[in-house]
Amino acid sequence: MMKRKKKLWLILFSCLLMVILIGCNSDDEASNQEDTDGTNNDESQGENNQTDEEPFDISIMTTSFSPEPPEEDSPAWEAIEEFTNTNLDITFVPNSNYDERFNITLASGELPSIILTGKTPSFISAVEDGAFWDLTDYVDEYENLSQMNEIVKNNISIKGRIYSLYRSRPLGRKAVTIRKDWLDNLGMEMPQTIDEFYDVMYAFTHDDPDGNGKDDTIGTVISEYEGPWDIMQTWFGVPNKWGIDDEGKLYPHFQDPQYREALDFFKKMYDEGLVNEDFAVMDPAKWHDEFVNGRAGTVIDVADAASRNQDNMVKEDSSLEGSVDLFGAVEGPEGLTHLPTTGYSMMFAISKTAVQSEEELHKVLEFMDQMSTEEGQNLAFNGVEGRHYEIVDGEYTPSDDQALIYEHEDLNQLLTFIPEERHLTEPLQEIEKKEEQVMKNNEEIVVENPAEPLVSEVYGRQGEQLDNIILDARVQYIVGQIDESGLDEAEELWMNSGGKEYIEEINQLYQEAQANQ
Amino acid sequence: MHKMHNTPLGRVFDVFNHIILLLMGLVTFIPFVYVIAASFATEAEIAARPFFIIPDTITTAAYEYIFSTNTFVRSMGVSVLVTVLGTLVSLALTLTMAYPLSRRNLLGRNVLLNLVVFTMIFNGGMIPTYMVVRSLGLLDSLWALILPVAINPFYLIIVKSFFQNLPEELEESARIDGCSDMGVFWKIVLPLSKPVIATFTLFYAVFYWNDFFNALLYISDSAKWPIQLLLQQLMMVANVDFGEMDTMLADPPEESLKMAVVVVATVPILLFYPFLQKHFAKGILLGSVKG
Amino acid sequence: MGLLSLKSKKKIVNEEEGSNQVSKMKLLFRNRYLYLLLLPGLIYFLLFKYLPMWGVLMAFQDYSPFLGFWESKWVGFDHFINFFQNPDFFRLLRNTLILAFYDLIFFFPAPIIVALLLNEIRVQFFKRTIQTLVYVPHFMSWVIIASITYVFLTTSGGAVNAIVEYFTGETINFLSSPDWFRPMIIGQVIWKETGWGTVIFLAALAGVSTEQYEAAIMDGAGRFRRMWHVTLPALRGTIMILLILRLGNFLDQGFQQIYLMTNSLNREVADVFDTYVYFVGITQGAFSYSTAVGLFKAVVGIILIYGSDYLAKKMKQPGLF
Repeated sequence: MMKRKKKLWLILFSCLLMVILIGCNSDDEASNQEDTDGTNNDESQGENNQTDEEPFDISIMTTSFSPEPPEEDSPAWEAIEEFTNTNLDITFVPNSNYDERFNITLASGELPSIILTGKTPSFISAVEDGAFWDLTDYVDEYENLSQMNEIVKNNISIKGRIYSLYRSRPLGRKAVTIRKDWLDNLGMEMPQTIDEFYDVMYAFTHDDPDGNGKDDTIGTVISEYEGPWDIMQTWFGVPNKWGIDDEGKLYPHFQDPQYREALDFFKKMYDEGLVNEDFAVMDPAKWHDEFVNGRAGTVIDVADAASRNQDNMVKEDSSLEGSVDLFGAVEGPEGLTHLPTTGYSMMFAISKTAVQSEEELHKVLEFMDQMSTEEGQNLAFNGVEGRHYEIVDGEYTPSDDQALIYEHEDLNQLLTFIPEERHLTEPLQEIEKKEEQVMKNNEEIVVENPAEPLVSEVYGRQGEQLDNIILDARVQYIVGQIDESGLDEAEELWMNSGGKEYIEEINQLYQEAQANQ
Repeated sequence: MHKMHNTPLGRVFDVFNHIILLLMGLVTFIPFVYVIAASFATEAEIAARPFFIIPDTITTAAYEYIFSTNTFVRSMGVSVLVTVLGTLVSLALTLTMAYPLSRRNLLGRNVLLNLVVFTMIFNGGMIPTYMVVRSLGLLDSLWALILPVAINPFYLIIVKSFFQNLPEELEESARIDGCSDMGVFWKIVLPLSKPVIATFTLFYAVFYWNDFFNALLYISDSAKWPIQLLLQQLMMVANVDFGEMDTMLADPPEESLKMAVVVVATVPILLFYPFLQKHFAKGILLGSVKG
Repeated sequence: MGLLSLKSKKKIVNEEEGSNQVSKMKLLFRNRYLYLLLLPGLIYFLLFKYLPMWGVLMAFQDYSPFLGFWESKWVGFDHFINFFQNPDFFRLLRNTLILAFYDLIFFFPAPIIVALLLNEIRVQFFKRTIQTLVYVPHFMSWVIIASITYVFLTTSGGAVNAIVEYFTGETINFLSSPDWFRPMIIGQVIWKETGWGTVIFLAALAGVSTEQYEAAIMDGAGRFRRMWHVTLPALRGTIMILLILRLGNFLDQGFQQIYLMTNSLNREVADVFDTYVYFVGITQGAFSYSTAVGLFKAVVGIILIYGSDYLAKKMKQPGLF
């Protein structure tokens, strides 16, 4: 009995080992094949590199989003090394706990040459302790890196200096996706002003825009995620987090007189049923479903949601092709105003312990600059021609083999897109072209947050609570749980919960930053 | 099992008892049935119908996507290996430590017990533990998923008290027969503790199977990712706030994928349960002495 | 090492037989195999639990990962003072305590009751099937459970509210009502963990002999008296240990669960220490501050553990040690 059991264990174990070993073996074979493919490609590109210098070693830590991050023998990885004449050692860390890994890496004292980081308190304190290079005076020497966007550059700065290269994202990404066919059914135009927007929402709710004879539609759908309210209140001229008064002092956005205007508008929307009743608890994962289902006529989110939602609608009902449109903002009391994103998604800092001399720093920056060229972006974003994509009749056609996609997908996490995206793309649909246009127009009307680059200690400790006081009061006011005096109380609570100190600190930091410039 | 005469009241109780437990079973299981159903449903159906047991159109797209990765089998293998090996190591360490601690006449027992209880409440935290794992050279080794969490002090204390409740007469008589401490532990205590061992095999196995946080910290080489981490990565975008979603990413993962991931992650360990279950019923010897 | 030195002292021990110290030595030596058995576990605790214990001291520093432990600035009790003076401290404490009590009163007994009920089932197939079904939810993540909860409880088409409306003509806004928040959280915990919790009690019941039951029957004990006098006492030790250990983590709540169920309309009752620490500690990277909060909770836990163990012993109940 006992012996038989032992045998069973043994068998189980050896099976396991087999699985793992076989898994590894087959992988090695695959990678061998890749190698030969890779060298072919290298030869065709080799001519770009005239230098006889030894490849320069660069270690990088960045995020990964795919279940199979590329490995060193990936042809795309090798092509990048060839192109930039470097030896890359890239550590891909799952995005979900990147911050923890960043902190641990800081603590372990073994920083890679280039490390991706958010503008987090631990990054800032590490900068203050001299962990990273001040890049302010170096970036201007590079063709691409010198063309950073001024707003975003300001956003990533710490006390007026730049310690990192940001990964560019559209600043004017927010937009309203709208059912164009509903507008047509009702004989309405795309809204241009807040009043027109209200009329459209009202008609979407009460005038049976889908013509099915049932009262089953609403103007817009909103979930627990507070973004749509923020976007809309910006139309009313409410400042982006901080406003500047006549004396040049900063005040929190909710003290702006326009804030109450906006809230009254929201309340009216809610009372008249133009927005879903359960917005305060709605699961954000189900948010866009209501638009795709044909229950809501608009969804206030990001520009690229328009094409995504249209694709999902067409999948179910091909007659809905072309039924979705979008706009960036409607005119309010202060003209067109748009709530921007921060304009970046994390940034690359260069370690002083791993990159010790100025000469080495130049090589690292040179690498980052090269990655922003068209060829650099193509290699990291699209992979290697002939393997990961083909050019058919002048059109970019990516491979749809999942294994090949994984082979290069996460390499796009190395890109800064400074100053712009230059890689190959598939031909755009009409609506995608419109999205690009809307995002571009938005950039002209963004409302900057003057305090974005400032790092407040009070906020670090109590920011979450402070924000929640204001956010919760807004929701409670909209659904009618509190009135004007309730809003006043919330503001007072905010002041007494550290808000006063926060305002003082921000103003002091702001004055210092102004003086530095 | 044992014959018992049943009073009418007892019969009424029996009927209600069956009904209550059956209801409980349904309440706990129906949502899981929904999860399974949704994993085979289309996105449109999940959005349109609030609840269903059988989808109108059945699609296996979510599963195809999960199995499309080359690493799926490899990650399964890693998880099974870590679970089996980890459970063995944990059981060995827990049982061998619990037994001496259950002996009341052991000198220093109280100090040791306090030492253990203390760690249940105070811990050094992530960074110091990482430093220890790193200095032992365990980074990127599967041992990093096992050794730093080998003994759960909570379980240790419970096993200890189980041992403590074993009838002393048995051990006494074994000792008179010339058994050493080791002999008593091996020949008397362990065989008597089958239900306990089965229970903690289950607990440890489930822990190792579900754990992905340690892999996130200690394993950089994606070839050594356990299945839970791979699945986590597959549906990563789901946890990113919508408006702030990184534009470099494709569409957010579909609801059906989330559900399929639950099914794939749960079913293997669920199947493991019935094999252990039969041991829970075996306590036999114990009472014959005590009674 | 300890063992070696013991052996070399053997001679002396033999010479000085009789004194108190000697009998201790003898005891140590007689139990040498027990110590040997204990050694690997002890090494584990020293290596992986006590070696990193310096991390607790971060609570008295402004710890900066880049500077490391030795270079970071010491700030004494600053973080604790900040924490206690936080305007939200009492609200957090209150919410945490109420939820903890609810958990103790409503969730803690649930697995015991279910184990007792299961123990009364004699059809093995039925028993095992139910056992398997009730432990399934343990494997679902909170993200999935939150999403299922929304599906069932929402006022727009949720199954539960459809039933409520059928009987009362009104819907209940479970998800946004502060009154329903705590019942909802405890309900979720009961649903998810009760089945899993029974496993350990069933293992304890496996140790009860049929003879004990038969003896009770001979005494003319009915079903309920048998449950009361035989089954329940068999569980007493396990119950006490689990209770005392639970008190050690009294102030811990599932961060993820609460975070997912919180919204603007119920936050007043939903904020607890664990959600607060998450935002301050993880998203803001304030290591020292969150360590300080953790240390505060740990001190409360240690007091509760030793306090309850002391009380249990006083009341002649099985304790922790």
